[in-house]
Amino acid sequence: MKKKVSILIVASVMMMTGCDDFLSETPDNRASLDSKEKIAELLVTAYPEANYIPFCEALSDNVEDNFGGTENVTNADPWFWRDASATWQDSPEFYWNGCYTAIAAANHALRAIEQSSDPSFYAAQKGEALLARAYSHFMLVSLFANMYDPQTAPADPGIPYVTDPETVSLKTYERKTVEYVYEMIEKDLTKGLPLVDDRSYGGSGTNAANLARFHFTRAAAHAFASRFYLFKKDYAKVIEHANAVLDGNDIPSLLRPWTTTYRTLTSNELTLTYTRSTEKANLLLCDTQSNWGTSFNQVRYSTGAARREEIFFINNPALGNYAYSTYYTNTGVNFVFKFREHFVRVGMNATTGYSYTIIPLFSTEEVLLNRAEAYAMQVQFHEALDEMNLFISTRVLNYDPDVHNVTFNRLYNLYHETDNKKAIVRGILELRRVEFLHEGLRWFDILRHKLPVTHTSFDGQSTTLSPNDPRRILQIPAEAISVGGLRPNPR
Amino acid sequence: MKIWLLLLIPVGVTLAGTAHSQNLSLELKDVTIRQALHAIERESGYSFFYNDSFKDLEKKISLTAQNEPISDVLGRVLSNTLLTHKFLEGKLIVIVLKDAPEKIRVRGQVTGIDIKTSLPGVNVTVKGTSTGTVTDTNGEYVIDVDPGATLVFSFVGYISTEVKVTAETRIDIELEVEAKTLNEVTVVSTGYQEVDKRLFTGAVVTLGSKDFKTDGTIDVSRMLQGRAAGVSVQNVSGTFGAAPKIRVRGATSITGDNKPLWVVDNVVLEDVVNISAEQLTTGDPNTLIGSSVAGLNSDDIESITILKDASATALYGARAKDGVIVIKTKRGRVGKPVISYTGNFSTYLKPSYDNYNILNSVDQMSVYAEMERKGLLNHSDMVTQANGGVYKKMYDLINSSYNEQTDQFDLLNTPQERRAFLQRYATANTDWFDKLFKNSFVQEHSLGVSSGTKVSQLYFSTSYYDDNGWTIADHVDRYTLNANATFKLSDKVGFGLTANGSSRTQRVPGTVARQVDVVEGRYNRDFDINPFSFALNTSRVLTAEDEAGNLEYFTRNYAPFNIIKESQTNYIDLNLLDLRLQGDFNYQVTKDLKYEFVGAVRDVRTTTEHKVGDDSNMAEAYRAAGSQVIRQGNKFLYYNPDFPNLDPVVVLPEGGFYNRSDDQMRSYYVKNQLTWKHAFGTKHHVNLVGGHEIRMIDRQNSYNNGYGYQFNKGGVAFTDYLIIKQLLEGNFNYFGMGYTKERYASFYASANYSFNDKYVLNATTRMDGSNKLGEARTARWLPTWNVSGAWNLDAENFMNGVRAVDYLTLKAGYGLTANVGNATNSSVVYRSGTTPHPHFDETESQIIIDGLENQDLTWEKQYELNVGLSTGFFNRFTVAFDYYNRNHFDLISVIKTSGIGGEPYKAINYADMKSYGIDLTIGATVFDRRGLTWTTNFVYSHNQSRITNLKNLPRIYNLVFQDGGAQQGYPVRGLFSIDYKGLNPENGVPTFIDHDGKPGTNVFLQSLNTQYLKYEGPVDPTYTGGFSNTFRYKQLSLNVFFTYQGGNKIRLNPAFKNGYSDLDAMPREFLDRWITPGDEKYTDIPAIADLNVLAGLSSTYPYNTYNYSTARVADGGFVRMRTISLSYALPSKIIAGTTFTSASISLTGTNLWLVYADKKLYGQDPEFFSSGGVALPVPRQITLSVKLVL
Repeated sequence: MKKKVSILIVASVMMMTGCDDFLSETPDNRASLDSKEKIAELLVTAYPEANYIPFCEALSDNVEDNFGGTENVTNADPWFWRDASATWQDSPEFYWNGCYTAIAAANHALRAIEQSSDPSFYAAQKGEALLARAYSHFMLVSLFANMYDPQTAPADPGIPYVTDPETVSLKTYERKTVEYVYEMIEKDLTKGLPLVDDRSYGGSGTNAANLARFHFTRAAAHAFASRFYLFKKDYAKVIEHANAVLDGNDIPSLLRPWTTTYRTLTSNELTLTYTRSTEKANLLLCDTQSNWGTSFNQVRYSTGAARREEIFFINNPALGNYAYSTYYTNTGVNFVFKFREHFVRVGMNATTGYSYTIIPLFSTEEVLLNRAEAYAMQVQFHEALDEMNLFISTRVLNYDPDVHNVTFNRLYNLYHETDNKKAIVRGILELRRVEFLHEGLRWFDILRHKLPVTHTSFDGQSTTLSPNDPRRILQIPAEAISVGGLRPNPR
Repeated sequence: MKIWLLLLIPVGVTLAGTAHSQNLSLELKDVTIRQALHAIERESGYSFFYNDSFKDLEKKISLTAQNEPISDVLGRVLSNTLLTHKFLEGKLIVIVLKDAPEKIRVRGQVTGIDIKTSLPGVNVTVKGTSTGTVTDTNGEYVIDVDPGATLVFSFVGYISTEVKVTAETRIDIELEVEAKTLNEVTVVSTGYQEVDKRLFTGAVVTLGSKDFKTDGTIDVSRMLQGRAAGVSVQNVSGTFGAAPKIRVRGATSITGDNKPLWVVDNVVLEDVVNISAEQLTTGDPNTLIGSSVAGLNSDDIESITILKDASATALYGARAKDGVIVIKTKRGRVGKPVISYTGNFSTYLKPSYDNYNILNSVDQMSVYAEMERKGLLNHSDMVTQANGGVYKKMYDLINSSYNEQTDQFDLLNTPQERRAFLQRYATANTDWFDKLFKNSFVQEHSLGVSSGTKVSQLYFSTSYYDDNGWTIADHVDRYTLNANATFKLSDKVGFGLTANGSSRTQRVPGTVARQVDVVEGRYNRDFDINPFSFALNTSRVLTAEDEAGNLEYFTRNYAPFNIIKESQTNYIDLNLLDLRLQGDFNYQVTKDLKYEFVGAVRDVRTTTEHKVGDDSNMAEAYRAAGSQVIRQGNKFLYYNPDFPNLDPVVVLPEGGFYNRSDDQMRSYYVKNQLTWKHAFGTKHHVNLVGGHEIRMIDRQNSYNNGYGYQFNKGGVAFTDYLIIKQLLEGNFNYFGMGYTKERYASFYASANYSFNDKYVLNATTRMDGSNKLGEARTARWLPTWNVSGAWNLDAENFMNGVRAVDYLTLKAGYGLTANVGNATNSSVVYRSGTTPHPHFDETESQIIIDGLENQDLTWEKQYELNVGLSTGFFNRFTVAFDYYNRNHFDLISVIKTSGIGGEPYKAINYADMKSYGIDLTIGATVFDRRGLTWTTNFVYSHNQSRITNLKNLPRIYNLVFQDGGAQQGYPVRGLFSIDYKGLNPENGVPTFIDHDGKPGTNVFLQSLNTQYLKYEGPVDPTYTGGFSNTFRYKQLSLNVFFTYQGGNKIRLNPAFKNGYSDLDAMPREFLDRWITPGDEKYTDIPAIADLNVLAGLSSTYPYNTYNYSTARVADGGFVRMRTISLSYALPSKIIAGTTFTSASISLTGTNLWLVYADKKLYGQDPEFFSSGGVALPVPRQITLSVKLVL
């Protein structure tokens, strides 16, 4: 009897384990991260597939009320500095979700690398993952928390810095300080940067160089570092990283050829070229689910004639005509053809689908102007002016150093700024403003330098966002508060 | 493959089992009995025990035996003595003195006259005594009685039969059905066990073939409509192969399929492709292979058992949440071959405009005239439009009719000539139904042969179905084959083999998958040529042929279009082959213990070929590039990003399309089961079952799109590489393949105890494992359980005096059932893809995280309480009543998360729902006198559900479309409407309460603000049922069967648009439309917007919104005369002289009449979702049916 029982037990254990093997069959054609190539493919999605430009532009002083333009809440809410009611594409929440989705991809890749038998084999992928993770967190902390200030950062609430894959259905998170987030970003950045290997992108294909522009190359990583340290006000490091991108190159050849090639392009060609991977100035490109490609020159709260006058002429430190070709619509939108929508239909013959817009995340122009600002902040005024003039030489028509080069005197006259440092920085900010028009970066400059913003509606009503207005910090998305357990920002 | 080995071990054991069926051949002459016994000992190997002093041993006998059973031989040896023999264990035979009088052994089989197969559980008693036995699962019995005793065979629902026995013999009994109580079946087949109905504790409906069989209806699942309480069947499409929407006791899941489990001959029937309830209503071609039941020949089905509650489905455990439908097919019978033939000859009746409110051509033309006056049919605009009817044709003709030779215009642009041109069309009044439909001829032949001996029985059947097409664009034929053999190797060992197969070829109109346009709020389907939709949506002004009788073309997608031509050149050919093999084995280990094995494999291959001819409109649309306006407007041309300044170009210069899709499925099923039945004394019966089963299902879908296939040039392909480039840049591929693999392993056990057949207790538990939740081991297993009981009150002493009550049973059960939901991320799910980049050289492979790991993932579950009462009284009435209450929990639904984990919307187990309902069946023999009987059967089911916890975030369009949507506090699918607030008195444009709660015309359909919507009611009917009446007089019988449903709301077909074209057919409501200010007081039909109004609407869509408003909802309740059938069985006097044993003929009308429906529907079928594609409504049908038995 005993024997029989034990046979029965053995048999049933065998059956159960047999079944477990049997039930381990993968239910469908899902992928598994079992090779370097696949980890690299996962990292293709470690960049936010969401666009911050639409709301950053509308928040900033680049736009005005073009009555008659297309109205939508993703455009109107930020213009009125209201908490966003939209949660779909081009809204702050969509960007929040896009960043954390990218972070999840990076974290899953990092976990796969950790669990592999030889993590060093995946060094390049690890580098990319760390940088991508740092980048998304950096953008989030810049938008959803107080801008870094060495005085307040240890107390200001940051955003959750996620380093592990989520494994439960609903998890709660906490907001540590901005300082903590910056430390974590710096840690990932400094650890990841040396590991990045440009040759790891695109394999041996002929388009490897094109594909690399959608990933953190060395140059893109240094560009990110230069922005990060600029925000962190660590100017020596800005210069160091900017040098890594620019030194040893003929700098004008790295910048967009606005005065030459771009002048010859039709508007169709320009929209394709501006965000093309063959364009050297694009250090990091990102495809985003966004209809910015069609809305940037249609929405009501966009750049109009008055802002164009201000940006292109009144505050122009070069005192010349910029080479940017501008257009305007019958509703008064003034714009530069920079973007093109890529419409991915839901079916072969469908008329509905998803819009994608490729946006540049980092460009050589930004690196150059970051360095100029860092020089200015470190009171290396001549270097700063040289940098500005170098930039101006590629941006004004019929460049003549004697006419167009900026001088202390001109800056003083233009901006009525007696402090040389402030005047130069103002000049650099104006160059950034015009160069990155429709690209959202102006909002970060406003945050960094605590610039006031005034929005005037078409019927003359004016409101101003003062430097310490709490609405400068975007509100944490509703579910991140209710489900994720985060503290909301003050209102 | 470890499992397979284990399964085979028990099979070997059975070979050792033999009974005393050993046969002897002997020749003995004038020997003593003692010597004879020695001889037998030598020959047989048996040993005898006897008392040496028996005098009879010295008697002399002679005996010759040729291969006779040893028992018979011994009987003869001892025949003239006082001795007899008994078999003992271990080949021993004892010879003893006969008792006086000697018992005789009677054996035989009991069958039911109605079901033509064996009846298990029949009481066989000796009259006047308390001794007796019960027939086994094969309906067989053995009993030892005194000679001259009378055996009484009794069984609920059958007339008791008495037989006097005098000698040892075999008595096979065929029991006649008692009274005419409907639905009175005595054995419940659960697929695991055959249980006496009186001992069955669950809620169940069993239908014999005559209870559900509807002549002329081919799909078994459709036959169930209105037949069984608790089962709702909605024919959302009538096309062959498209499954109806079946719910057993309503929906149990918010995101799942809610489909019941089909079981054929104890084996789960898997679907070839998983079609969700929502997909059923899309009209997409893959719905045609969604129903596996469509491959079954209904003549092969003996009975259908529907297991409804947790107790009934307990043995199915975690797959039975949505009920189980068990089909039992026919088996061979002992006896000479019985050949039966059934022939059905049907015709589908053409639909007619009389039933639909479509404007005739004169009225339609006057509407066009108004549109022309309002500047909507403007000459210069029309010539550049993609679609157009008579106006566009007229303008095109004016533009191009200049004749150089004569210097004249064929058609001058003068009011007179224009009017003359339009005159022909105004009076055309084209009957599109007549052009596109025909009174089809459908034939169905089915031949079955049943034959067998005591040890082997065979059933073979074959059938052929051919429908030459209700429309000019479809036809279908199907062959089925079914071969079944059962063998009895010995008293203990039996096995069976079954093979069935079906083959189908079908042609349907060419179609592509439909798309939802959430911006404008409508479904889009390009190139839809569904004849039914076409007839309802195309203006009767248009003509199919010109005056000379040639096909006449109008413009669609910038290309010439004629529906008849298109039907001939754009179609889908579907081929389906379904083969199934099954083996059963059973071994009676001891008297009480039985081992059973079932193994089955099924293989289904389907091919769907969408053939689009070279000169079809769909192919020509890819080539329409006549002017710059067309080139820039035609979405089928290719904008090449390499040449940003060029117009889009043609990428299909030659040929058409050959798009092929292959779906394959292979499933395996294995079951091992032990059953132990034992009676302690006469009152305590215990029945234990334990077993395990394994299921494997591998599915694969592949597709391949061929561009530039030249049907007219011998099938040579001419592909422009740019079309591939276009596809890749648009993130599509021209071929692909995907697969799913399902694995299930389960263990189950059940115990049943009954006391004196009065009190029954049952407990069941089952452990299910599945790979569907993903790789993690934690979520994989789920135990389910159930307890239930029954109380047969009629067996109580206090009921003895109540003669009126034939039977009365009270049942109750409570338990947990479950189902795997639609989430597979118990571990993280990665999927490969490519980046959506516009440029070819920037596209790379990517892996996305499709679902984060969810350690909390589990099965969808529900607790169900069922209380049932069934009774019969006066031998005339039967009532079955069940009440159930279900608590659904852990339902999977999408919830919005913090996003911080990287998945903003997660499908997790958190939603809860409650539902309850009643099932009621009343049967009665209303009248039974002088050869005339009238029986009636009434079925009523009620089901109501309410979602108690759901945090999904539906947008307006998720709730207002005809499928409805889910929201907390409402039924599983609720229909909501935008609140219509009358017409704008200035221009007749409809106004609403918009998404912000303000009055206006612009409702943002993608808005998440759904609180201003009006709740209309559930989409699924809350009550359904049927009412059947049968009148019999001698050989004639008449059956009238109504089905009904109600409690739900229906969205009317969308008829309104911002702008109409001269192609559109308009409903007759348009005659009541707003024309001048003031009309808004009397009508809710919006005006046709003129150009000014349209300009003011800019990019808002109030007319589409109107389609989804409170103004466009109808009540879903209806009563339909489902069938009316008159049949005549030839009297036996007439057939006596022929070779036939029976013959009958019947005439059936199906679906003839909608007795009641909401007037607002204007002929719109309340069951049918007019979704275009391959969907057609269930036609009205007349069938002549012939049944012959040889």
